[in-house]
Amino acid sequence: MGNLKLTKDNKLFKILRRSHDHVPWYWRNEFLIAILVILVIYAVVLLPNPGNLSSAQWLVIGVFFFLALIWAGLMLTDARKAEWSKTLAAFAILFLAGWLFYRYSDAKWDRLGHVFFNWDLMQEPMEDGGNAWSILFEGLKLTIQVALFSGIFGTIIGLFMAVFRSFNNRILNIFIVAYIDFFRSMPIIVLMVLVYYALPYTGITLSAMVSGVLALSLNSSAYISEIFRAGISSIHHGQIEAAHALGLNSIQTMRLIILPQAFRIVMPPLASNYVASAKDTAICSSIAILELLKSAMQVQAWKANPTPLIAATAIYIIFLVPLTRLAGVLENRMKVRKAG
Amino acid sequence: MSKDSSEVMIEVIDLHKYFKDLHVLRGISTKITRGEVVAIMGPSGGGKSTFLRCMNRLEEPSSGQIIVEGTEITSPYVDINKVRTEIGMVFQLFNLFPHLTCIENIKLAPMHVRKVSEKEATERGMQLLTKVGLANKAYSYPDQLSGGQQQRVAIARALAMQPQIMFFDEPTSALDPEMIGEVLDVMRTMVVEGMTMVIVSHEMGFIREAADRVMMLAEGVLVEEGTPSQIFNNPIQQRTQDFLSKIL
Repeated sequence: MGNLKLTKDNKLFKILRRSHDHVPWYWRNEFLIAILVILVIYAVVLLPNPGNLSSAQWLVIGVFFFLALIWAGLMLTDARKAEWSKTLAAFAILFLAGWLFYRYSDAKWDRLGHVFFNWDLMQEPMEDGGNAWSILFEGLKLTIQVALFSGIFGTIIGLFMAVFRSFNNRILNIFIVAYIDFFRSMPIIVLMVLVYYALPYTGITLSAMVSGVLALSLNSSAYISEIFRAGISSIHHGQIEAAHALGLNSIQTMRLIILPQAFRIVMPPLASNYVASAKDTAICSSIAILELLKSAMQVQAWKANPTPLIAATAIYIIFLVPLTRLAGVLENRMKVRKAG
Repeated sequence: MSKDSSEVMIEVIDLHKYFKDLHVLRGISTKITRGEVVAIMGPSGGGKSTFLRCMNRLEEPSSGQIIVEGTEITSPYVDINKVRTEIGMVFQLFNLFPHLTCIENIKLAPMHVRKVSEKEATERGMQLLTKVGLANKAYSYPDQLSGGQQQRVAIARALAMQPQIMFFDEPTSALDPEMIGEVLDVMRTMVVEGMTMVIVSHEMGFIREAADRVMMLAEGVLVEEGTPSQIFNNPIQQRTQDFLSKIL
């Protein structure tokens, strides 16, 4: 056998090294900088002024953006380029897209601001002494109540169904699966309308609040049950065997061994589910509960201006973004300890 | 200690086990007396673990009788959880509860099954941890421990229920070689204390010195049994010879 040691003076090493060092022409900095210069010249010389543009002029703008896109793509796909240069390239392309839209679309920015972001209008006092904000906050209180109660009931029902399902009783499971499939596929708005307007014909009359909470609980319990089931079935079977071998009965095993571990696993999907069902409370507006969305729509009608809807959206976001963040924090803090 | 006493702890009569169409145990009968250390050996898939797990009904026997300390445990009316408190079990993959610290792992069953007070359970748990040499790891979580340490905690957890019999299901086969010794040391002290033990293992050296009897299980049949020296030095059955020639 020849000398195959890969030392630095070895020919084979040099060949390998050279092929390894080889940078294809399209990733070379010289090339990318040249393209950048061409793009700048292109922008200065060829880009038309805004106004009535011919199709040829639109094509010039399109080609310009397409070239810029390719340039950014080349920057981003090269693993050897520095992180900051890639970040810069990504932001540059986003900025370029925004700027082109701003320059060439005939958007009426001041009109948009006046109609959709008319904050003065929100402050105007109304007949009852309050203003649009105070009405929205009244709505927010109801939204929080509905979200809280439906979250609690949905979690309890869902947890019980998941636990019962884990007992693998075939008959019981048919019913549980039917329940879950039914309520997951049923539009909540239909369910809510049925509970509020149809149940009275069977002699069960529920207030709007109770109907809303009931419909949302039924819906979210189906989803939450699936989440818990996934958590429970992800617990390694050895855990259950170890618990049984110690003499723990099924209920103790569920309570002391399976559920505490399952809870840690389901925390992130559960929190994300709560965010989704908190938004679903908006559907209560269909049965005349004056929650946040319904209040916003009312004020919108009175003022003949959609700013209250934007304000309501802002309130939803302010309340729900921390909840989504909380899910992330929990995920980190509750990092599941690996089964030994 | 009292290995000559012939009090029968476990009696197995004509045990059969099917997994669907697979006949895993084909009529096994044996008796295990108090203080006896029984090693079960044999090729993989031969039914060793299944046999062990049938004896505390982690697997349901398909037919046959298993009598543990006078209780027929295959009867549907038996309180199997009560029987299981008398049988400690150590698993190949330790199966410690990852959400609990070591001491919590150990005191869980005494508190919730034996209804021992928390204080007493903690004291006894600390004694056991000291015995397996891990008192300083009481408040660590299982994933902070090495495999050998985890298995020692698992043994302490089983002992906390003060069982009459201990089952070991390949307790060292998931361990790195340098950790096998520490687990076997703990098992040795239990042998000295006279614990009745049933061990599925291929640790020849340990079995030779500690076991009173070796059972050779292959294809669901009890091929041969005898003292370690009989089995290892003068195996009678061809099946035993084949197996030993492969692992030696």
